[in-house]
Amino acid sequence: MSQQYVLKKENFNNFVEKVMADYDFIAPVKAKKNILRSKSLYQKISNPEDIFLDDHSYHTVKGFFNDPREKLFDFDGNKIINPVIELRQRVFFGLRKCDLNGIWHQDMVFLDNKHQCDPFYKARRDVSVLIGLHCNNGFEHCFCNSLDLRSDFHDLMFFDKNNDFIIEVGSDKGRKIIEIASDFLEQGDNLLTEEDRKIKNMGHELKTTNIKKFYHHEDWKTKGADKCLACGACNMLCPNCHCFTIEDDVDFSLKKGTRIRKPAPCQLKHFTRVAGDHIFRQDKTARFKHRIYHQLQYFQDRHDVQFCTGCGRCIAGCPARIDWIEIINNME
Amino acid sequence: MTTKQQLISESPYKPVLAKITEYVRETHDSFTIKLDWKIHHQPGQFVFCSLPGIGEAPISICSHSDEYIELNIREVGNVTKKLGQLKVGDELLVRGPYGRAYPMRDFEGNNIIIIGGGCGVAPLKGSIEFIEQYRNKFRDVSLFFGFRTPDDTLFRKRMDVWKEKFNMHVSFDKVAEPSKACYDGSQGFVTQKVNELVGDNTNTVVFICGPPIMIEKTSEILLNKGFKEEQIFVSAERLMYCGMGKCGRCMIHGRYTCLDGAVFRYDELKDYKDD
Ligand SMILES: Cc1cc2nc3c(=O)[nH]c(=O)nc-3n(C[C@H](O)[C@H](O)[C@H](O)COP(=O)(O)OP(=O)(O)OC[C@H]3O[C@@H](n4cnc5c(N)ncnc54)[C@H](O)[C@@H]3O)c2cc1C
Ligand code: FES
Repeated sequence: MSQQYVLKKENFNNFVEKVMADYDFIAPVKAKKNILRSKSLYQKISNPEDIFLDDHSYHTVKGFFNDPREKLFDFDGNKIINPVIELRQRVFFGLRKCDLNGIWHQDMVFLDNKHQCDPFYKARRDVSVLIGLHCNNGFEHCFCNSLDLRSDFHDLMFFDKNNDFIIEVGSDKGRKIIEIASDFLEQGDNLLTEEDRKIKNMGHELKTTNIKKFYHHEDWKTKGADKCLACGACNMLCPNCHCFTIEDDVDFSLKKGTRIRKPAPCQLKHFTRVAGDHIFRQDKTARFKHRIYHQLQYFQDRHDVQFCTGCGRCIAGCPARIDWIEIINNME
Repeated sequence: MTTKQQLISESPYKPVLAKITEYVRETHDSFTIKLDWKIHHQPGQFVFCSLPGIGEAPISICSHSDEYIELNIREVGNVTKKLGQLKVGDELLVRGPYGRAYPMRDFEGNNIIIIGGGCGVAPLKGSIEFIEQYRNKFRDVSLFFGFRTPDDTLFRKRMDVWKEKFNMHVSFDKVAEPSKACYDGSQGFVTQKVNELVGDNTNTVVFICGPPIMIEKTSEILLNKGFKEEQIFVSAERLMYCGMGKCGRCMIHGRYTCLDGAVFRYDELKDYKDD
């Protein structure tokens, strides 16, 4: 049983301000205009009043861990200049179960010591404290109840209960935040019921994650790929998708430049293009299936962990409104 | 609160410099370079070569030595063409080695059949050199190579040596006359030679590397002859950017070509060749 603390909601802003004295505070804020179907975005805040917890954020936080234009190194001719990255201690507040599991999956890829730990990701991850917020209710497109996600991957976890936040501690990093803000916290015990830990009224349900048998099903094409615009929005919004390209940017001297890593969406045709213009997943159906099978089968086969976190952002953000959960639910 | 500047000095993406100590022009569009780069590696592994400002390309190691690395490169695009313009004494950036190697130790005491088509012969050269170094650990060794024309033959000097040591068969898709480089091989596809000469599959393993269609046809012939899928090892080529299971580009139905390949056992890939 992990330790529990009570933060009265009236003290929430004080808590945030206290933490903000020592950390950058990144939390969902209200988006200026409604972006597609969501009203919130993760941002560094300077005023606790800006925090907006009533919606599911449109983007995930993955861009805070891997820079969308990560500078792997600079070069001057054949001379390599080691990169410098700027780090500040920071707290992510309001991460949902799907977001937290997404970060855990990114950890599995980028902190994997067996196949080379990624120093950029690690450095940013080391300075980050993850504070989760339990969803009492689900959102329109999410379906995490249909998946097998971890509930213990966080530094602190907030539960919204009546006039209080009940806080559970998951790590030493979280404990440090508790110490910093102890003026506003009271220790407690057994403050949460089974019911409090459930996520109710979830908008969506995935009937099965065992899709191996559907690999040759024609619905992937007729109900999915035929409508797909191959824009890659699903990849960009996904908390898991991490594929990238490495390329060199050079200045006018053609000698000096930077080797850059940037995200690559597998729904784009050139994702598998090799020299000679051969494209392995030329067919849109093959690309559509690749993403979904990576989410539900490939990662599971490799790591024994489900990749998809059920956040539904790929459905909410799809300009063609493709609901792949419905496609699977109707397959036989 | 302060902003900390962290220098990233250790990074798996950071290559090292290597110098070209030998350069051999093999054909009109391919060359072999030897680098003064000392890394321990296994047959079947590959490295990334890069020229700053142009990019990186994964290239198989085509030698077997802890003292140096040889790479045979076909000039097909930006990086490979620029690499072709380098000369002895020039430097390039390299990192590696990557990939799962041929499990050579498991094959000790076996007959080995090596079948290469075109530039697919290059990655196999590493395993042939390995066999040369540990010759008494293996039984009969047969080499089957196919090139488009005699002018496309790779590693001519090595071939002269291998001809004496192993059962070697070279075939050319077509022999143009008159050809000054005419090598003593026969006309026809390498698959025909394999069909003609390969018989018994007992205690035998086969390595195949070449264009996808050649790999497919050759495997088909061998399977028809009674070879088991587990006896056949094939190479896969996919787009690669990292070599360490992170960029996701090389994935074939959930398998990373860079970690689980590029050498695969036939049964691991057979259903997903185009995926
Ligand atoms: C495991 C492995 C081993 C290989 N071994 C050899 C070898 O021994 N000799 C040889 O000549 N070729 C080899 N190749 C193919 C070689 O990597 C490509 O021909 C080369 O990357 C083309 O780069 P380019 O810049 O010249 O071509 P462009 O078409 O200009 O490519 C632009 C970029 O695309 C990428 N790219 C293009 N084609 C490929 C490809 N086939 N594989 C991976 N990335 C690609 C590169 O990152 C390159 O920077 C190998 C490929 C793999 C995956
Ligand atoms: S090359 Fe990046 S995952 Fe294989």
